[in-house]
Amino acid sequence: MARDFYEALGVPRGANSEEIQRAYRKLARQYHPDVNRDPGAEDRFKEVSEAYEVLSDPEQRKRYDRFGADFRRIPEDYDERVGAGRGGRTVYTSGPGSGGFEDFDFEDLLGGFFRRGGRSGPIPGADQEAVLTLSVEEAYRGGQRRLTISDRELDVTIPPGVVDGQRIRLSGQGGRGSGGGTAGDLFLVVRIAPHPRYRLEGRDIIVDLPVTPWEAALGATVPIMTPGGDVKVRVVPGSSSGRRLRLRGEGMPNPRGTPGDLYAVVKIMVPKRLGKRERELFEELAAVSDFDPRGS
Amino acid sequence: MYPLTKPVRLSTNRVSAHTGLHPELVRRFAALGLIECAADETGRLWFPPETVARIARIQRLRSGLSLNYTSVGLVLDLLDRIRVLEAQARGSDRRWT
Repeated sequence: MARDFYEALGVPRGANSEEIQRAYRKLARQYHPDVNRDPGAEDRFKEVSEAYEVLSDPEQRKRYDRFGADFRRIPEDYDERVGAGRGGRTVYTSGPGSGGFEDFDFEDLLGGFFRRGGRSGPIPGADQEAVLTLSVEEAYRGGQRRLTISDRELDVTIPPGVVDGQRIRLSGQGGRGSGGGTAGDLFLVVRIAPHPRYRLEGRDIIVDLPVTPWEAALGATVPIMTPGGDVKVRVVPGSSSGRRLRLRGEGMPNPRGTPGDLYAVVKIMVPKRLGKRERELFEELAAVSDFDPRGS
Repeated sequence: MYPLTKPVRLSTNRVSAHTGLHPELVRRFAALGLIECAADETGRLWFPPETVARIARIQRLRSGLSLNYTSVGLVLDLLDRIRVLEAQARGSDRRWT
């Protein structure tokens, strides 16, 4: 809020009133909290509104140009007083005795931007929206998280099992109301970051299950890492790549119903280099087997 | 688990009490098509509960951008359409993560 008014509007100090008005209108449309749901938009809107309020009034602008950010504290009769003191030091900056502007209620001024239409009833604040990016593991576990949203620190409880696109409502944490109106809500829109191992389909988690050719052929019980911890998967004999093994209920938790499933997708891996013995055995297998995966 | 505490519809006076607007202005908003309403057999107007939030939005748009009520109506329609389009875009964007 302490930004220079000209800077806030993005105009040079010599800008004429038309340029100031043009800059303000454009920014006001861009940052109006009903058009722009970003939590930072409201402060920006108030900033440009306050800058415009001052710079569009020739008298106030003159005072602002002369005294800078403190212009409201400088008494109207500054020149007379300075004249009387024959150019003595200025003592008006913020001393308790200077009176007048000490009682100035800044918040009241800000609230006023939404009340200029004339009616002065309470107006509730706008709802805001912010994106909350979580890893698959964080979404799975939920828990406390401290967020900084447009200079505010918020402790948020994330329920376990949130899914991509889900909205978490923080009541009363949105835009401020004016004239005693209630604050709006802040909605955190959950985005789940891409994960190197897990893919999500709704609440189902899909994960590759690398197996050796003999595990795939003979069957095996292999450990697999899931967001909920390590589990064992039974690979049935004769499992080709792409076979989905379902682990019921091991997907994303669901606070309001059945949890998702976890699908381990068989992926047959072969050694990049074969040892001598391995090569012999594979060659023998190749000679003996009449299996043809491409055959009709 | 929780009982439904919000009434499904609000009378003109209830809207007026919630928003601090004069009942006549509430009716005018309805006549301008800024807020949804339904009239019963006796001609009384009834409003959905979200009317209160919508009126707050109307007031913010009007005072914050110096819009007249006709322009506010247009902005509300456009914002509603954007919301629908964004929801659709999110739906078609549903990718594997």
